[in-house]
Amino acid sequence: MTAPWRSLALQPAILMIIGAYPAGAQVIQVAVERPLAAELGLSIGDTVRLGTRIDSMTSSAVVAAIYEPRPDPAEIAKRERHIRLHLPDLAALLGAPDRVDRFGVGLKPGVSPDSAAIVLNRGAFGYRVHVSAALAAESSQTFLVVSRFHRAIAVITIVASAVFLLCIMLLKVEERRLDAAVMRFIGVRRRTIFSALLLEAALVAVLGSLAGTALSYVAGSVTNAYYRRFFDTGLIFSAITHEIVLFSIALSLVLGLLAGMLAAWRLVRTPPLVLWGRG
Amino acid sequence: MNDWIWSIKSLARRRLRTLLAVLGIAISAALLFDMVMLSGGIEKSFADLLTAKGYQIRLSPKGTLPFDTEATLPAANSIIRQLRQDPAIAAAGAVLGTSLYGRGPDSLVTLFGYGIQPEGQGLYWLQAGSDLAPSDTNGVLLSSAAAGLLGAEVGDTVRMVGRLDPQVITGSVDRKLAVRGLVRWAYDYRGQPSVGTVLPVMQALAYGNREDRASLILVKAKEDRHAPALAAALRTRFPDLEVYSVADLVAVFKQRLVYFRQLSYVLGTMSLIVSVLLISTLLTITVNERLGEIVTLRAIGVARSTIVRQVLIESAVLTVVGGVAGLILGLGTARYLDSILTSFPGLPAAFSFFVPRRESVSTAAVVLLSAGCLAGLYPAWVAARAPIAATLRSEAT
Repeated sequence: MTAPWRSLALQPAILMIIGAYPAGAQVIQVAVERPLAAELGLSIGDTVRLGTRIDSMTSSAVVAAIYEPRPDPAEIAKRERHIRLHLPDLAALLGAPDRVDRFGVGLKPGVSPDSAAIVLNRGAFGYRVHVSAALAAESSQTFLVVSRFHRAIAVITIVASAVFLLCIMLLKVEERRLDAAVMRFIGVRRRTIFSALLLEAALVAVLGSLAGTALSYVAGSVTNAYYRRFFDTGLIFSAITHEIVLFSIALSLVLGLLAGMLAAWRLVRTPPLVLWGRG
Repeated sequence: MNDWIWSIKSLARRRLRTLLAVLGIAISAALLFDMVMLSGGIEKSFADLLTAKGYQIRLSPKGTLPFDTEATLPAANSIIRQLRQDPAIAAAGAVLGTSLYGRGPDSLVTLFGYGIQPEGQGLYWLQAGSDLAPSDTNGVLLSSAAAGLLGAEVGDTVRMVGRLDPQVITGSVDRKLAVRGLVRWAYDYRGQPSVGTVLPVMQALAYGNREDRASLILVKAKEDRHAPALAAALRTRFPDLEVYSVADLVAVFKQRLVYFRQLSYVLGTMSLIVSVLLISTLLTITVNERLGEIVTLRAIGVARSTIVRQVLIESAVLTVVGGVAGLILGLGTARYLDSILTSFPGLPAAFSFFVPRRESVSTAAVVLLSAGCLAGLYPAWVAARAPIAATLRSEAT
């Protein structure tokens, strides 16, 4: 590739210019992530120049690999672009030889990470040893907060749905005033009318739950398709598990039955003549 | 006036269903108001935070956002000198952010250090003691969290340690500093132990060899309205630096929190739909129940438009009462939801997600009222088109 060159800033502070490298210059290898390669039209074998400042793009590099970045929920919103270099090449590029941000330590089978961390931290000076599980827990704090927020929104939605359901059930049962009055006139017992109305409420709740479940699968698929495209990632944004479906159906059944009971109870304790409109 | 009284009496006749409808609308409206506060609140709160000290422009290393990486820009003092000579600039100050250690009562504690230029600082508010003088190389400012960790008060002396060298088991730089004051840092998260010194002291603690580097430069334009033009001019003047106006940073931040904005749109729309469905269903059933009464009114000469008006007024009354209750409920739930979201790790303590703004809340109220009135259109149509003779005959049997 030749001029016109394009420059690109990469985190933390590496600049990249796409173009030809001078003959005879030492060339390092670089792996470029797939979205970045697609954005810049790079393919394997292309050359780029790297540097920490725009006026000192001295290192030439050849694209040795294009890799698919691992889906990471912590990274998607940042829309940062990454390249990978061999450690000595990056250290030389940054002018910080023999310095690293962190080490990864693999323990022999049977060694407890917590005890190893305690032992290493005892002699630590200028560094701190963390267990991977603790780091994972800490870095997932953001998602725990999002999860708490979703739960709070869900509670508000459930309360609104419960009121809506109660209102609809009440209206639906009220519509049956004349039927209930006739049944009472011909000697049908209150308990039978109550049970019939309750059964009807349960049926409505079951049908509503099934429709809601189907709707949630559609909404989940749309959400996943939209955000995967939006963030160019393979992450799952909406996961409808069996537990969620069962919980939702059980909740709507309970709410539906409670609403039906309340409405039916109001109806059966009203005198039949009042129900008939002559009381 | 009669229409209003008639409609209110009609709603009062069915107290339980009216109460439930109002409650349902109130909860939906609360969610709608919350989502409106969330959608605009993020950018409002962030913009307020950025301009809290009046600095409208930030310069950071090329390709980075302010304090997003550990990258620094070289020749900070030279850039500052150039900026301060610009007649359009009221103030400019460099900031270096770095991690360092302080000697606590029994161990080293990790701190965040700000190197600042007191004559051009837009990062903190003094809470106790005195500010640093520009030439004060022996003083330090502490956040209350840092003061707690170090067990220090104003007037005490604390020891700050720069980079630790594991090979020789010693701190490469060690400084004794007098605590001049306690400050609240604008961008610190809750409980962040931060300290501030003049820039050269922090540069020495961070690099040992007094490299003239800074993480960020803050620029205050003489007039707010000239800030975007000044940012554009600085972009041309310093091509090696990233120049951000407040609007640029808000746009980046909005992009990062796009999920919450979209969620607010989806949930806001859904709550509006639920309100419309609730009002429409309730009024349709009520109108069907009262068809006999309605056609009797028509039969004695009441105009069709009067019937339509009365049904629409019922729907407006339900919406207004539910909406007012929803606004009160929404303000309460917004505080609760805000307390959840502001517990995001690393988020500045002064940041809010749910910001009640008069214009956005008014817009939401108008949209809710319009939707509520629209919801009454179908039942009003049912009431208006009921055939008089057939309905009266069916009611009589």
